[in-house]
Amino acid sequence: MPPPPKGKKRVRTAKDKLLDSDLWAAHIESIWKEVDGTYWFRAHWYIIPEETAAGRQPHNLRRELYRTNDFADVEMESVIRHCYVMYPKEFEKARNEGDDVFLCEYEYDIHWHSFKRISEIEDNDVDDDEAEKDGDWNSCEDPDSDVEDERENQSNPLTRPSPAHPLAANSRKGRIFGLQKIGAKKIPEHVRSHKLTEIEKANATLLLATLPKSLPCRTKEMEEITTFIKGAICEDQCLGRYLYIHGVPGTGKTMSVLAVMRNLRCEVDAGSIKPYCFVEINGLKLASPENIYSVIYEALTGHRVGWKKALQSLNERFSNVTERSKEDDRPCVLLIDELDLLVTRNQAVLYNILDWPTKPNSKLIVIGIANTMDLPEKLLPRISSRMGIQRLCFGPYNYRQLQEIILTRLNGVDAFEKPAIEFASRKVAAVSGDARRALEICRRAAELADYRVKKLLSIPNSAAAGKMLVRMADVEAAIQEMFQAPHIQVMRSSSTLSKIFLAAMVYEGHRTGMSETTFDKLAITVSCLCTSNGEKFPGWDMLLKVGCKLGECRILLCEPGVKHKLQKLQLNFPSDDVSFALKDSKELPWLAKYL
Amino acid sequence: MGVENPAEQAQVLLRTRLCNPDFIFTIFSHSPDSNYSKLKYIMSSSVTEACNNSALLLGPRGCGKIAILEMVIKDLLQEYPDTICVIKLNGLLHSEDNCALKEIARQLCIENQLVFSKMASFDDNSQFVIAMLRECGLAHKTIIFVLDEFDLFTQGKQRLLYSLLDAMQSVTSQAVVVGVSCRLDADQLLEKRVRSRFSHRKLLFLPPSQEDLQKILQHALLLPTESGLPSQYVAAYNKKLLNTLSDEKFKDIIESLCHSDSTYNHLLRFLFAAVCHMDTKSGYLSLDNFKTALSSIQRQPKLEALQDCSILELYILVCLRRLEVKELETTNFNSAMKEYKSVHDSFQTSDYYAWNVCLRAFEHLLQRQLISLVDNRGHSQSVEFRPVRLLISSHELHQGLKSYRSCPAILHKLLDRGV
Repeated sequence: MPPPPKGKKRVRTAKDKLLDSDLWAAHIESIWKEVDGTYWFRAHWYIIPEETAAGRQPHNLRRELYRTNDFADVEMESVIRHCYVMYPKEFEKARNEGDDVFLCEYEYDIHWHSFKRISEIEDNDVDDDEAEKDGDWNSCEDPDSDVEDERENQSNPLTRPSPAHPLAANSRKGRIFGLQKIGAKKIPEHVRSHKLTEIEKANATLLLATLPKSLPCRTKEMEEITTFIKGAICEDQCLGRYLYIHGVPGTGKTMSVLAVMRNLRCEVDAGSIKPYCFVEINGLKLASPENIYSVIYEALTGHRVGWKKALQSLNERFSNVTERSKEDDRPCVLLIDELDLLVTRNQAVLYNILDWPTKPNSKLIVIGIANTMDLPEKLLPRISSRMGIQRLCFGPYNYRQLQEIILTRLNGVDAFEKPAIEFASRKVAAVSGDARRALEICRRAAELADYRVKKLLSIPNSAAAGKMLVRMADVEAAIQEMFQAPHIQVMRSSSTLSKIFLAAMVYEGHRTGMSETTFDKLAITVSCLCTSNGEKFPGWDMLLKVGCKLGECRILLCEPGVKHKLQKLQLNFPSDDVSFALKDSKELPWLAKYL
Repeated sequence: MGVENPAEQAQVLLRTRLCNPDFIFTIFSHSPDSNYSKLKYIMSSSVTEACNNSALLLGPRGCGKIAILEMVIKDLLQEYPDTICVIKLNGLLHSEDNCALKEIARQLCIENQLVFSKMASFDDNSQFVIAMLRECGLAHKTIIFVLDEFDLFTQGKQRLLYSLLDAMQSVTSQAVVVGVSCRLDADQLLEKRVRSRFSHRKLLFLPPSQEDLQKILQHALLLPTESGLPSQYVAAYNKKLLNTLSDEKFKDIIESLCHSDSTYNHLLRFLFAAVCHMDTKSGYLSLDNFKTALSSIQRQPKLEALQDCSILELYILVCLRRLEVKELETTNFNSAMKEYKSVHDSFQTSDYYAWNVCLRAFEHLLQRQLISLVDNRGHSQSVEFRPVRLLISSHELHQGLKSYRSCPAILHKLLDRGV
């Protein structure tokens, strides 16, 4: 840090001073009054890029600051005035805030000298600690202040005592330790200074992880879920509230429920409906079905106990209402994804969960999601009677819906030829109606197109690809890759002996009319084929090895090679596929007559 | 002593090259249609554009799936230092979900210098992995999960794959899941809900074509001029080698090698054997070296096992074969002995051994897996009563007897009559 030129006085604004590190910005967390009447606050500092270990990087903007985890207690007197520190999105929109506007995208760890993006406000439903902090951030007026140079504050946090012994990162007793260590030593340049092409933009919006701005095609179902939950919450007496949602994978079941819950949360914030608590569980992510009790209990109370104890307390909680404290009185919405995983041998887990809502005043609403339509029917009658009353079916999307989904995502990005999207959606609608699949096809097609464009650009004297669109051919290629099994190509490129082996399998199958054969018989056939066509017969051991290799790729189904001549063999694909693959092989033209 | 023979140095160099997949596969890295460039494109797009990807590398064993993947990862690590973290799992070791997740957590902890606890439960670990994915995404770090023997991860409820792929579609992180499998139907093994989350990028690895083979031969065997070897020797060696490579006989050798198995791995093992046979006195790779290498790589284990049998063991094998021709339902040691006795009675052979000697020979055959027990039941029974089957076919037995040094003529006769 170069010291400010002494003696020389130049009129500088507070912003200039701050950027020359004569002033500091800080984010005030709390304010209190000491006994002697002075006001103090606790804040964490912002620093300018020059003060980081990496120094100013070429992609840093002029008004960029980093939020640090450097806390300090400072007297209120030293505060000069208010300034604005904004996220990139707000920064873009900033208009009338004056001169003291700064941009902050990253967090800087002063101990590890590492950078990390500040997580977006949207994903604050992850854990509660985070949410509160973010809520503070969220308030549109940042209580940031310029603070005069107080150098001694900087050494403070470095002397903070370290914990007696290191805590394990993965055993989570409330939180994960050591995550602050993760961070980039330098913000990679390609992240900031890379301008996205249209195709790359399309690629980003088609990502499954990107949450779309609106969810088309499921308005009816979402309305139904909303009325169901609202009805359950608002009524005083809610009995046996259970909704079973089913549909094939990729039809937006979980996404719709979560979207409904988000909307309802907004309504709770606005005060139009009563507050409730929401617990989300995924059956496949539980270590065992019984674990669900502990998870529910932890979500409701914050304590971790074994599942037996949790079951007991949950039973008590949902059956006796009178002893409940005021806070426990909120209705509880329980979302169980992949419900079929909870089916145990005596189905006790499902029974318990479905029995709670029927208790008077339990105030529990259960939403179960699974793929199979007839799950209730497959269960014990006492469960299906509780479960099967209210159902909601998410049918597979038809091609129009898929097209709409893709188009809404691609809104404003001009990267696809219109028929290409229609082709992809028609193809997926015909096979599964899985929206994920449709999005992935489009993304893969965009990727292929991008690959093609980059290849073109790498050749220096080719015509500059001014505007490239994702074409029909790219979609076609993506679909091929996704749906076609690669066995034909493998058969075609396999060794001579494997081809003869496969042809002999087909021939043997035709001759005997049985699909299964033993190695003994097959070897005789192969040797016949070889001798009558002037090929060298390689010997049984070699042939066995070839058979086992084909078995490894699952072109054949075979028993382990130890059984030698007793080994049973079977083609894993229809014999027509083999014939098609080997019919016109160049080095073995005689194979065709046996196929 | 200090001065080494240039031929020995050359041999060491060639062997080092053949054992180094990076060197062998670099010749394919430049063409845009190669798997290398495609895979690199997929993985680097995840690094630069911050998106999640999943891909599957399929192909028969020995076609360079892992080699190419390792090359890509190495290049990426060089290109983007400090931003990539590689987690490697193998289906043979970690097919169980709980242990796989623990292993992921362990490797993540090591890579990021965190403290790992063995005691953490499944829930803890899965929450930790999700948290790590998110944090790494915020820090612009890419996590690459390599799942070798991918097909073995599909046993059971596929919890691990579900949680990984579900995280790919819900967490804004940057991660790549690369599955490697020799089973062509690996993606069909996925459960419906897992398959829906998988992004179906498949790269197929095939055995090399003829031209590629030629390229590899030259690439691997020609000595570089700028190495420390004397240039005269290098020139002479290269000239001789090119001569050998264009020889018709050499082409026959390669053809016979690729007749049964045309994968990269097979070829490299063959070349390694040839280089090991190289005569360091003359210092050149000759055609004979390749011939000996071919015969050492194309072995016929069952036939060779027959060569090592004693006459008595051959008798027992022939007797078992005769019983097989008679289509007896079950054969065991006792029935074989009965046959042996009847043969002895009718032909008065000179080789008649006591019962316990025969039993030892029989047990020896079992150990060499020329015969095997039909089932694994009845461990309490002694060997002589348990049913056995012949594991070699009559053709092999014929061939074995023919090439046996001093096979009694009577055995041929017995076998022929039986057939």
